[in-house]
Amino acid sequence: MIIVEDVHKRYQTDHGPGKWILQGVTFTIPRNLSVGLIGANGAGKSTLLRIIGGVDQPNKGRVERHSRVSWPMGFGAGLQGSLTGRQNAKFVCRIHGHEDDIPDRLAFIQDFAEIGDAFDEPVKTYSSGMKSRLQFGLSLAFDFDVYISDEVTSTGDAALKNKAAAAFKKLADHASLIMASHGEGTLRRFCKAGIWIHDGKAHWFDQVDDALKAYKDSLPK
Amino acid sequence: MSQIQKNALAAGAGNGAHIARTSLAITLSVWKALFLREALSRLFSGRATWFWLLAEPVFHVGYLVFIFTVIRVRTVGGIDTTVWLITGILAFFMFRRTGIQVMNAISANQALFTYRQVKPVDTLLVRGGLEGLLIIVIASILLGAAALFGHSVVPADPLAVLEAFFGLWLVGMGFGLMTSVAVELVPELGQVIKLVMRPMYVVSGVIFPISAVPQPYRDWFMLNPVAHGLEAVRLGFAPHYHAVPELSIAYIYGFALVSIFLGLALHRRFALRLVTQ
Repeated sequence: MIIVEDVHKRYQTDHGPGKWILQGVTFTIPRNLSVGLIGANGAGKSTLLRIIGGVDQPNKGRVERHSRVSWPMGFGAGLQGSLTGRQNAKFVCRIHGHEDDIPDRLAFIQDFAEIGDAFDEPVKTYSSGMKSRLQFGLSLAFDFDVYISDEVTSTGDAALKNKAAAAFKKLADHASLIMASHGEGTLRRFCKAGIWIHDGKAHWFDQVDDALKAYKDSLPK
Repeated sequence: MSQIQKNALAAGAGNGAHIARTSLAITLSVWKALFLREALSRLFSGRATWFWLLAEPVFHVGYLVFIFTVIRVRTVGGIDTTVWLITGILAFFMFRRTGIQVMNAISANQALFTYRQVKPVDTLLVRGGLEGLLIIVIASILLGAAALFGHSVVPADPLAVLEAFFGLWLVGMGFGLMTSVAVELVPELGQVIKLVMRPMYVVSGVIFPISAVPQPYRDWFMLNPVAHGLEAVRLGFAPHYHAVPELSIAYIYGFALVSIFLGLALHRRFALRLVTQ
């Protein structure tokens, strides 16, 4: 269960505090429920995901995580460009305390990512799709209750989406996903509930379709 | 906050039948992972990156020895010029490289703060530790090479040399801990620090003996703990070296402890500001 209570967030800019991105976001995500985040560009989806993932802190309000939450995957976050995919993977295994079974986990990651020899090339040579393959493989190598994905699927090809969907189906009894995406199909496929972020507020919908509808209705005709 | 978070995290990291890791266990595994990662990128990130780590001090020693030979300075303060230069340069590098590496640790590791386990201060401490070890290795190689050229490079008092090197490392850590926070919060300070660091090479007594400076000006030079460190290293190598009379090991360590304490306090105070954007 993840409780987000009255979260406010604004970023520090070169000329003082910026405008509020999130202004009083409150919701509770129950166990085993996959949720899609919907909103315009710049609405605060990534910000919210980073706060849920504990990487950034809200200026006001709080987040309670009563489950094991992954780091937010997205846009090459957490990958060091000068190191190879394998070295990055080893690093992540180590900080998660899996020093002893690194070979097993590496095998899993390599198998999931399916990027071939590129696994031993520096990450900066990867395409964005290859990065998302590696990121998905990395986080799935650990047993989290909640996986956070920030548009990782959007750069992946159909094969990756199928693979990720299959993996999450297998985990469905104990793990869920919080994802931001602009792909309606992806959202419908992975998520049950939806959160529409608009004007710094979050609106909860039990059905992701309703959230998509609310988002679309808000667009100028 | 970090303790609680790290504890909560322990759960986030386990597999199936997971056992919550203690904060200490998490920190240690983060340090180990960071250390291996830092070592890899410091030594092998480009073509022969490791070579340049060694080449820089060798180059410094090389051209300074050349200049001193041309102007026929055979001894400084009663010891062989080459030994005097090598010890000074290595000691200075111990401070400067540690300080600069630690200062830049946060921006260089920004990508890793995606993982909640990794705190900015972890990257600093690990970087500093790695740099200290590297300088020790580089120093051994350089001194070994000087021995091949027939210079007597065996320290008369090895413990005193290590004590001085360790003190300089601590001063570098303190410098890095404080400036890392400063440049993250006020990026303009980075320029100021660069300006201040430029004359350090000269005022620390790498290329001229501070004991040659008359009073009262010498006291001003001796406010700089690095100058004390360099003289202490040389004195450890050759007890007959005419070191600065004001030399004080206690001053080096006092300076280091105060600056490390202040640096850690800054990290504690601004822990949130350093990771939030």
